[in-house]
Amino acid sequence: MSKRISGISRIIIAIVLIIVIIVAGALAYIYYFAPTSTTKPLTVYALWSGTEQYNFERVLGNFTENTGINVSYYGQTTTDLLVTVPQQIAAPPYDVDVIIAPWPNWIKDNSPNLTPVTDLVTASQFPTNILTPVSTDGTLWAAPFKLSGKPGFWYRPSFFEANNLTVPTTYDEFKNTLLPAIQAVPGVEAAIASGVDANGLGWPLSDVTEAFIIGLGGYQLQLDLETGPSARNWTDPQVVSVFDDLTGLLEAGYFSTPAEWTGQIAKLWEGKYGLFFEGNFVTAQPQVLNQSDIDFFPFPETNGVSGSVDYAVITKDAPHLDQAKQLVQYLAGAAAQEILVRQGGALATNTNVPASAYSKTDKEVVDFMGQSGITIVPDLDDTIGGQWQQTFWDQLKLLWTDPSNSTMTSVLDTLQTAAIDQQGT
Amino acid sequence: MKRKNQKTSPFFFRLRRFFTVSRLFLIPAFFLLVIFVLYPIVDTVYVSFFSKSGNFVGFDNYNYVLFEKVNPLINTANMLKGIFPMGALIHNLIWIGIHLPLTILLGLAFAVLLRDVKGGTIVKAIVFLGIVVPMVVGGVLFRYVYDKDAGVVNAALRIVGLGEYARDFTQFRQTALFSVILGSVWIWTGFAMIIYSAGLEGIPKDVYEAAEIDGASKWRTFWRITVPMLRATTLVVVTLTLLWELKIFDIVYIVTNGGPGGASSVPAYDMYFEAFYSNNLGSGAAIAVIMTLMTFGVAAYLVNRMSKS
Repeated sequence: MSKRISGISRIIIAIVLIIVIIVAGALAYIYYFAPTSTTKPLTVYALWSGTEQYNFERVLGNFTENTGINVSYYGQTTTDLLVTVPQQIAAPPYDVDVIIAPWPNWIKDNSPNLTPVTDLVTASQFPTNILTPVSTDGTLWAAPFKLSGKPGFWYRPSFFEANNLTVPTTYDEFKNTLLPAIQAVPGVEAAIASGVDANGLGWPLSDVTEAFIIGLGGYQLQLDLETGPSARNWTDPQVVSVFDDLTGLLEAGYFSTPAEWTGQIAKLWEGKYGLFFEGNFVTAQPQVLNQSDIDFFPFPETNGVSGSVDYAVITKDAPHLDQAKQLVQYLAGAAAQEILVRQGGALATNTNVPASAYSKTDKEVVDFMGQSGITIVPDLDDTIGGQWQQTFWDQLKLLWTDPSNSTMTSVLDTLQTAAIDQQGT
Repeated sequence: MKRKNQKTSPFFFRLRRFFTVSRLFLIPAFFLLVIFVLYPIVDTVYVSFFSKSGNFVGFDNYNYVLFEKVNPLINTANMLKGIFPMGALIHNLIWIGIHLPLTILLGLAFAVLLRDVKGGTIVKAIVFLGIVVPMVVGGVLFRYVYDKDAGVVNAALRIVGLGEYARDFTQFRQTALFSVILGSVWIWTGFAMIIYSAGLEGIPKDVYEAAEIDGASKWRTFWRITVPMLRATTLVVVTLTLLWELKIFDIVYIVTNGGPGGASSVPAYDMYFEAFYSNNLGSGAAIAVIMTLMTFGVAAYLVNRMSKS
């Protein structure tokens, strides 16, 4: 009998050993012997698709021509880049070498999994306030690449001319003259187009909301809100006043129901809307059928403008670290940015890019942003980031589709709670 | 034999009886179960008692996700007002209340009506497409189905003269949840139909013949023979549908992102949001534990009923 027991014990030991060997072998393979992606080309992730992707790939093409280094571009959705990619780069090995992201807080949060780029960027070539948000204790984590300004309301001059509409110079003219006049044009669904992104996220709504915050409350209000409840609450009377005005316009039906933003540009072109608030990247979209028939006017009487920067970062365990460094150095340089700027719909962060590189419309945006009396402030939700950003987008969709005083109050209360959760009191 | 048993100690005797060769074959599965099921469950429960900064907080995370966070799982204030969001947990109950009876009724109706109809298999295949299409693709389809300009729902409204009600139903707080639920009915009805079709094949033909000879009407035959004899099948459909509803995520994520303002959120989406957007693993784990308890309770009850029937 004892022989049988020992026989069974041997079987158990053998099975356990086999399992241990298989698990240990698998782990060893994963950590030491799995292909390290070095045979694949340098890999870049960014949010761009369509024309923006095409324009960026031309920049990458120039890099390949100059260095002989092949680069593969993979477009990401906003959610993928915000949520999935950070998990990916926290657990090497992975394929991605360079990521381009517009969220300074996201970059700082992920800095333990990034390679510093301090030595790759000539700080004197950039405005200081562009580098500060992505630096910690003298270490620079990201190289500024593309600048997007959100200068104001885009419109078709031919539409304005045909309907005897004039560009407003005061907020009162905008609210009480222009918007009712556009609304009265036959075939117009709403005076202002409202956009969401292809996945239904409400970032285009946040851009126009920021324009109201800066335009009606001043740029300092936006900076305070970015700092968090320690500087300004979302229930502050000044914020309530801004949202009261915005809610009034929504209730009056001047804003359309939110829909995918590039489709909204097409409808702007068809004359179903009169205005569309967005960044200067609007002009790079294929839905803009005639570049000479698109123009913008700033939010009337504003003293600031929101701008966001697309930063290039290098992952900590990048399979092609040296090549990734070369690429990021190139992207931060004037040559790469000039190629991008010449294609339209993009502004440079590098101050060495000549003014002659800009199209007429982009030059107007640059001139407006550089005008005295106008302060460039970082994009509100990109700066705060995290859970608050998603809550902001979602709450604005609620306000847009159910505008009323009670919704507005609940939206601001929710934003305040979310801000306290994330930024503290 | 008796003497041999007396020589072996009781412990080794029991051990020997336990480790029969057939049980040894369960060991690899047991290891996999421990590593991939048991350990994650225990660890999730453990994590749910800790704050974002790693401090032990007892049941605070549960209180936070149920009542205190932005869009809590139970939003009593909005429930009393009858407006959305009412909380992801309540949304899930609404989901079950609408989706479960609809899919069962439609699945049964399709299975019975198409049973002996010429070309019925083709119609069944079309209905079954819903379950074959990946949920993400189904979600994208439904975004377009409800679109104000391009969607078939609004086109149908315009055709019947109700164009004034045309809107992007997924964008509004009072219609977003119902839009997603109705979309998921299409996705899941094919599953119920196939299970019922298989169940129908199991009912002996002579029972129907006897009923026909006795002069029973079709309606009476359906209620007195078909429905009772499909009881076990119905239990399977109810169990699997309920479990699917309790963990619903993908279609909500794709169609509405839980919005607007959390009006169509469900617990699985909230869990994802807490864990990965706010990096608050504790509160995400708390939602996971609540979901596990709900799912386990329902599954245990229904599986018990199934084994009895």
